[in-house]
Amino acid sequence: MICEQFDPGQWRLSFNQPEADFLINVLARLGRHYQEDVSRMPPALRAYWQGAISRGGGGDKNDLKESQEVLAEARSELRGERLALVENWLRDYELSEERDPWKVEISTAERDEFVAMLNDRRMLIAAELGVTEQDMEADLSQIANEARRTGILEIDVLGHFILVMLGPQIYRP
Amino acid sequence: MATSAAKPGTETSPDVDVEEKLKEAFARGWSIIVWNDPVNLMDYVVYVFKAVLKMNEQDASRHMWEVHQKGKSVVGRETREKSELIVHRLRSFGLNATMEQA
Repeated sequence: MICEQFDPGQWRLSFNQPEADFLINVLARLGRHYQEDVSRMPPALRAYWQGAISRGGGGDKNDLKESQEVLAEARSELRGERLALVENWLRDYELSEERDPWKVEISTAERDEFVAMLNDRRMLIAAELGVTEQDMEADLSQIANEARRTGILEIDVLGHFILVMLGPQIYRP
Repeated sequence: MATSAAKPGTETSPDVDVEEKLKEAFARGWSIIVWNDPVNLMDYVVYVFKAVLKMNEQDASRHMWEVHQKGKSVVGRETREKSELIVHRLRSFGLNATMEQA
């Protein structure tokens, strides 16, 4: 994957065929997830979308309840926005004539949304599998459970995509 | 149409009451807290702090390290409404953010 700025605020992403295949698979899964009814999700995923706005530190309970409702509504709208974004990406891929490499041109705002959406997938896998700090630091070959190993690999690959996209603006002392 | 008239001396001014509550709430403020998690990348967290909280590189890195080493960092203090917005923005990037009355 390559990310290059070709104009101020404009970015060109290039994916080779295996990267594009991987990404399309991720986007399809995200699209299905965004359409799921949150109330029917497993507790860990439900917590990701509806987690408490406070960890019990003071404040008026009515204020917190109100804030929790505001957040829940905003999170629900976000899922709809992200679903539309997924559909745009999948449509773009369907209509593209050249797929090796598959090239996409996006604005900085679109890139940021895309990055946040890929990070959703990382966080959702982690929540679903109960991924820990030790898992993230472990040698993948030492993780016996295949679903867990595959999940952590996907988290790593998506993390690589994110860093490639943010690379030009990440500060390195 | 029914009308009601308050008896003099039996009513507190709602304006004063609201104003005092607003002043009090504003003075105390709401802390925005970001919690550590095992998955978000350090560089990514710095990037989100810069994008959402408009922090400079140094502050963003300092708060990222605080989250990583101490488990959490208070990244801002705002009114309730603004805190709600910021918590939502941070969560939309996948960060585990909460708010607490200071």
